[in-house]
Amino acid sequence: MRPYTFAAARSVGEALEQARDGSAYLAGGTTLVDLMKLEVLTPAHVVDITAVPLHGIRADAKGLSIGAMERMADVAGHDLVAGPYPMLAEALRQSASPQIRNMATIGGNLLQRTRCGYFRDPATPCNKREPGSGCPAVDGHNRSHAILGTSDACVATHASDLAVALVALDAQLSLRGPGGERTLPLAGFYRLPGDTPHLENELRPGELVTGVSVPALPWARRSTYVKVRDRQSYEFALCSAAVAVNVTGGVIREARVAAGGVGTRPWRLPAVEQALKGRPMRTETFEAAAAHAVGGARPLSRNAFKAALLRRTIVRALVHLAG
Amino acid sequence: MAQPTMDRIDARAKVTGMAKYAADHNLPRMAHGHMVTSTIGSGRIVSMDLSAARAAGGVIEIYTPDHPLTFKGTLPLIAAVFAETRHPLADREIHYHGQIVALVVAETVEQARDAAALIKVTYEARPPKSSFEEAKQNPSEPPETGLPLGKRISKPLDVDIEAALAGSEVRVEQTYDVPARHHNMMEPHAAVAAWQDGKLTIYSGTQGPAAHALELATVLGVQPADVHVVSPYVGGAFGGKAFTWAPALLAAAAARALGRPVKIVTSREQLFTVTGHRAASSQTFGLGAHRDGRLNAIKHHTTSQSIVEDPGYRTTPKYYATPNADIKLMVTSGMNLPTATIMRAPGDETGSFGLESAMDELAVALGMDPIELRVKNHLDSTLAEGKPYSSKHLEECYRVGAERFGWSRRRDRPGAVTDGDWLVGLGMSTAILDSGRALTTVRVTFRPNGTATVACATSDAGTGMWTIMAMTGARALEVPADRIRPALGDSGLPVAGNNDIYGAVGSAATATVTPAILAAAKEAIAKLVEHAATAQGSPLLGAGDVRYERGRLVGAGMSVEFGKLLTLTRTGEVGALGSSAGLDDSHAYASYAAHFCEVRVNRWTGEARLSRFTTVVDAGAILNAKTARNQITGGVLFGLAAAMSEEGRVEGATGRISNANLADYLMPVNADTVEIDVHFLDYPDTRLSPTGARGIGELGTVGAAAAFANAVYNATGKRVRTLPITPDKLLG
Repeated sequence: MRPYTFAAARSVGEALEQARDGSAYLAGGTTLVDLMKLEVLTPAHVVDITAVPLHGIRADAKGLSIGAMERMADVAGHDLVAGPYPMLAEALRQSASPQIRNMATIGGNLLQRTRCGYFRDPATPCNKREPGSGCPAVDGHNRSHAILGTSDACVATHASDLAVALVALDAQLSLRGPGGERTLPLAGFYRLPGDTPHLENELRPGELVTGVSVPALPWARRSTYVKVRDRQSYEFALCSAAVAVNVTGGVIREARVAAGGVGTRPWRLPAVEQALKGRPMRTETFEAAAAHAVGGARPLSRNAFKAALLRRTIVRALVHLAG
Repeated sequence: MAQPTMDRIDARAKVTGMAKYAADHNLPRMAHGHMVTSTIGSGRIVSMDLSAARAAGGVIEIYTPDHPLTFKGTLPLIAAVFAETRHPLADREIHYHGQIVALVVAETVEQARDAAALIKVTYEARPPKSSFEEAKQNPSEPPETGLPLGKRISKPLDVDIEAALAGSEVRVEQTYDVPARHHNMMEPHAAVAAWQDGKLTIYSGTQGPAAHALELATVLGVQPADVHVVSPYVGGAFGGKAFTWAPALLAAAAARALGRPVKIVTSREQLFTVTGHRAASSQTFGLGAHRDGRLNAIKHHTTSQSIVEDPGYRTTPKYYATPNADIKLMVTSGMNLPTATIMRAPGDETGSFGLESAMDELAVALGMDPIELRVKNHLDSTLAEGKPYSSKHLEECYRVGAERFGWSRRRDRPGAVTDGDWLVGLGMSTAILDSGRALTTVRVTFRPNGTATVACATSDAGTGMWTIMAMTGARALEVPADRIRPALGDSGLPVAGNNDIYGAVGSAATATVTPAILAAAKEAIAKLVEHAATAQGSPLLGAGDVRYERGRLVGAGMSVEFGKLLTLTRTGEVGALGSSAGLDDSHAYASYAAHFCEVRVNRWTGEARLSRFTTVVDAGAILNAKTARNQITGGVLFGLAAAMSEEGRVEGATGRISNANLADYLMPVNADTVEIDVHFLDYPDTRLSPTGARGIGELGTVGAAAAFANAVYNATGKRVRTLPITPDKLLG
């Protein structure tokens, strides 16, 4: 770990005042501290925001809002989340480990860095960590990497389960920075890697995530998050699917489908949603629709299975909702 | 028969944090070492820029190949085969990715680690030979080591195995691949070393304190008596702490060079390369059988990185009767990989996966129940020499296990049983583990405070040895166990000497130590009786009929408790040494188990989840049911982990282990397991030892992966022959 200066902020205003070039905000610390120990991140200045009161889980007619400093475990267990939005609670409960969920915040979760092993090992090249140094994952150990949204510069997956469910629900992200407050769709917040994989999102210098809101969607009560992984806890997704359906009279009126573990960002699947619309709620529909998930997929040397797995994960989620 | 059971006497110290492990020791003036490891897999160091590191705060010294530490000898005895013989920092050559290239010693651990990160090494890299997949295509004959490992086993000696297979009515021939595996014990290798007057005291977790002392002494060039190893608590070992590795050598050598204590704690990432691992292997099995299921031929040809992992020698001659057998090992020598060593059930875990998978495939080919096939080929005496087994109740293990598990509910047709979207499969396997015991010496000592010490230079790496020593001492001295004070984990304690210094290895510690406790107790009681009759101050002085009964000395119509006696005679202690006798080699010895496994495989996404596991164990007398159950449960999960998720992933092009951390090297978590149903048959094997105990530790591990893989086949019809069985292998 490189030496750094440290300051604690008690308000958003104080946090913004403390932020500077090369600084980092510290919330739960479950990503930042790890990466500082590995010297993947070497901030010169760390601003502790754990005392910044960005709390609250609230719901009204417009929807649900969650403060950025809420802990994952608290959100997962909250009545306003688990009942109306099962996919959110399930995504959180299947994330990381209980210890991490007790520490990690919602804002931090959405800004967590990729689990790509090359990104995390400063002894290897990585375009995300060191622009222009190269991407060993393209020909290396890429079993866990992305098949959607990749570029020759980067094939790392986005690691958050929560973000997948939020993107499916059209969540909005609230930010505050030196230039004031703004809100933007979470789906648009994340960037594709392209030639600039080190630029992962639209966050501006010094800007702080203050919260996330989910528009009301009554039929999201019928939703689920299916996560497939190599062990049953404390492991990232090989593939995941957040799915909600609005079914009346045995026919799917609307659907929300997003995938994780397969994309360079949380991956909304509008073509699958479209293919489900107006079709009967049964397995043949699911399989036909899921086939639309993998258009444009670019499998790597060790992760070709992910195309089939993605289709099947979506089908499994839909079968579960039909049951 | 009710089995004795007792809580671990060290449990409270461990859960309250009072138990001091090696790295918990802090000494006055102690400095901290941090290792720097290579980032190439093969080549040489061209230059090292130490300027920034030297300028960093708190740095005391930096050792490199150009400024190495002093080592004089090489690792003795079998450590020369099973551990890394090259001295750390010996020269600028890089043999594998993650090799130690520098040791930074600083005032604090943070300063050492930070300075280590500032060292810039320039390499001249060569393409490494690190891909086992490539190297196994062109293996070579194993080296001569004097050990039976790697020696070809043929029955009859001039067997033409291909002809025997070709002449068999039913044949199965398949290859089974097992990746490298890493011990990943909870406590990393750590050492705190301090010298005084030319003598070394080192706190270092080890399975064999006396062996560790001898190895350290030899490499450091001092007398074995001048090295004192202290290791009362060991946070898991699994073979990884049977021999001496670089962290302990570096701590000892740096402490000597600097004239102050040095602590080194290996990081999790470094453990993967600076200490040993289970080598990857590829096994080809050919099984030939008559149509009635009797085996006619077994071919077992293995290629592995080193002779350490020899599944043929370890496994195949022990399992089934066959008139024709050909077992051999080839090695991929000269690979740019870290050094392989023994790891829990070395060879046995690997071999049992291959053999017990192949037997399942043969049962399918024959249309025969897997248990019936095994019973039909039951081995009554050893395959090569025809020696009878001391006490073998394997058939009862099958029978009792089938009953407990509900084996009759199994359907031969894969996929026949479902539970919603989950395919349910049942599988079984046999586990056999050679049993033996080494020689050792124990001291039993009576104290004036009414306690008795039972001391031996063995180890408790979480196995329950502290508790077994207390229980056995209590039994031998006929006093409650809370009056027994065990002592272990110290090279100054008694040990047999010569080759019998390896402490707790090969699942033999209980069978080794407990007979010696009985012998020492007998000697100590005789001395105490004599003391009572002859010592000034004894109330029994001069009595002619003194005897020992339940902690009391009885005679002349009266009795006195031993503590009181020693108090009255003003005697600090009365004790004696006792040694175990040699093994009767007219018989062969092994422990047995039948494993039964139920898995559920998701029909859409292919995750294979453990849902039930029963094992029935024939391991001689069970001296402590609680710790024995712990051992079997842990062992089973250790073996299942190989089937479920564990895999050391080496990048062929670089030699780098790409998952050298606990987030990416997937050890099972609680969510991956279920309550393991363990049942002991409890037939004391008094031919092996007076206490009747046989090996337990590694037995659960053996065969567990095959039981899982066989259950996956029964669920899905898919035979996975390359571990681990991850969802991608069960799709489509």
